[in-house]
Amino acid sequence: MPPLEPTCKSGIGTLQGMRAHPFGHQPQTEDVFRRLVESIRDYAIFLLTPEGNVASWNPGAERIKQYQAHEIIGKHFSIFYPPQDLAAGKPNMELRVAAEVGRFEDEGWRIRKDGSRFWANVIISAVRDDDGTLIGFGKITRDITDRREAELRYRLLIDGVTDYAIYSLDANGNITSWNSGAQRIKGYTNEEIIGQHFSRFYTQQDTDAGLPARVLEAAAIAGHYEGEGWRVRKDGTKFWSSVVVTPLRDEAGELVGFSKITRDVTDRKLLLDTVQQHAEELELRIAEREQTNAELEAFSYSVSHDLRAPLRAIEGFTDIVLTDFGAQLPTPAVEYLRHILQATGRMNSLVRDLLSYSRMSRLEINSEPVQVGKVIRDACAELDEAMRSKVAVSADPSLCVCAHSVTLAQILFNLINNGLKFYPPDESPHVDVNARREGGTIVISVRDEGIGIAPQHQERIFQVFERLHTADSYPGTGIGLAIVKRGIARMGGTVRVESAPGKGSTFYLSLPAA
Amino acid sequence: MTVDHNLKRRPVVLLVEDNSSDVQLIEIALSRTPGDIALVRVEDGDKAVEYLTGTAPFHDREKYPLPTTMLLDIKLPKRSGFEVLQWLRSQSGPIRRLPVMMLTSSKHRVDVNGAFERGANAYFAKPESMKELITILGDFKSFWLQRLEFPDLVPGVFLPPRPR
Repeated sequence: MPPLEPTCKSGIGTLQGMRAHPFGHQPQTEDVFRRLVESIRDYAIFLLTPEGNVASWNPGAERIKQYQAHEIIGKHFSIFYPPQDLAAGKPNMELRVAAEVGRFEDEGWRIRKDGSRFWANVIISAVRDDDGTLIGFGKITRDITDRREAELRYRLLIDGVTDYAIYSLDANGNITSWNSGAQRIKGYTNEEIIGQHFSRFYTQQDTDAGLPARVLEAAAIAGHYEGEGWRVRKDGTKFWSSVVVTPLRDEAGELVGFSKITRDVTDRKLLLDTVQQHAEELELRIAEREQTNAELEAFSYSVSHDLRAPLRAIEGFTDIVLTDFGAQLPTPAVEYLRHILQATGRMNSLVRDLLSYSRMSRLEINSEPVQVGKVIRDACAELDEAMRSKVAVSADPSLCVCAHSVTLAQILFNLINNGLKFYPPDESPHVDVNARREGGTIVISVRDEGIGIAPQHQERIFQVFERLHTADSYPGTGIGLAIVKRGIARMGGTVRVESAPGKGSTFYLSLPAA
Repeated sequence: MTVDHNLKRRPVVLLVEDNSSDVQLIEIALSRTPGDIALVRVEDGDKAVEYLTGTAPFHDREKYPLPTTMLLDIKLPKRSGFEVLQWLRSQSGPIRRLPVMMLTSSKHRVDVNGAFERGANAYFAKPESMKELITILGDFKSFWLQRLEFPDLVPGVFLPPRPR
């Protein structure tokens, strides 16, 4: 049988000598086959002579490669290959392989008539006659440029992700792909890691515990696995990873591998650990503080019970001695007993004020909207009736302040009481209480025209037990203003004083408006 | 039916107080105010319960008569005032009706509220001065002991009606 010869008679080469083909027995069937090939536009299907010259051409070939039948028939098929493939002798190699094993499949760049490239899927089949003599080759070429680009884009996408290690494993856990993120995070290059088992990313401890196998098993069963844990880089350093593992299955549902996405969240982990640690410390401190508060509470309870009991006895028996035997005692003895009574009175005041001061530091103070006018009235109600008439109040009844009303009332009482107290003995005291809004703040002022405070003492007066005068001239415990300062601070406000000796004093309380 | 003539003569006040100075001052304050009362004193909560139940040596009601009312401190050795109150109000007999006035050094809201929750009928804070103590106990005698109606505390024994 003569080998296949190129003919120029039609678009389809005459398949002389290809009687071995099942369709070849009947001319009618051969015609149907010819028409079939001629109708295919998605595949270039053509024949080559044993030497590689084009022997036939179909419309698909014309569409894909742009040559018309008469232009290309008789030409060597190497015309379709790019120069580097030609230099490598690829066309002839492909024919040789096809002749030897019957078939050759390849993907690669091919050149159109206009010089443009397309990515081709090529199958070359050897065609032999009944005697087994090679009479030519059948060639089927597909333009899969679009598919290749899609795959390429996808691969670039995966590879472009540097913040995530994205890689795949086969069903046994050996690494089959590796992106740049994986290289960046874990330190291994593509070449180093492909084919290795993924358990090398785990700590020895986790590996010994069988964690890698469990992760794959869990992913395979549940269809998904998410976890966090310490992993090991190539250089041996550890990082805290957040991992998602998804099983990959073929159309039949058979497990073919896994995809793994790993993120290095060490920074977040360390931050969370720090936050957690701080939270625990805070809780501990709150607990300690609560305990301290409870101890203080118990302490002050004990003080009010036990410290006062002997005072009651001293006061009580002194009083009885004075009442029952005063007439029989010499005058100085009566005088001394009166001193004892006064001292117990002062001691009682001190205990009372200290308890009040400690309560002010300790008690839970919940601020809420409070009418300023009402709190001032509450404070004034605590004054002796004779003193109440000496207080002039001017406050807009609509003014509301954010405060704890009992605390604020006590603060105001202390300030008003002080204002009325610190007057020269021969003057009639009076105090003005005023409230006004200044933006988001309510300022309550308590003004007197009494003896005033020298500038150098204006800080000191807010400290516990600080007194500027003897208890004889101006009685008091020296705790009142300390209570004011502590209380106003507990409510998120401030207190300040404007004063000059002989000109009186004005205390200003600032609190957030409600 | 018997009428307790002892009670008719003078009310019996059971003072539960551990501080002997306070006891003395209370006795003196009571003595300086009009009205005759019998003051009996025990020094802790357990003794208060024993007194009220008539446990020996308190079974002798001639010597330890059942009180008309009880003055009860809170902070006490052994059983506290609150525990005595709870015990008292949980009794099944008429003794649970015993009027109780707290007399304590605490002005804590927790104590005041807790006392009334446990069934106290009145609450006085011990004052700082003897003069105030005399006033308070004078008021106690003139109002509490002389104006109020008292419940019956012994089955079958009824108090005579208060003379008008």
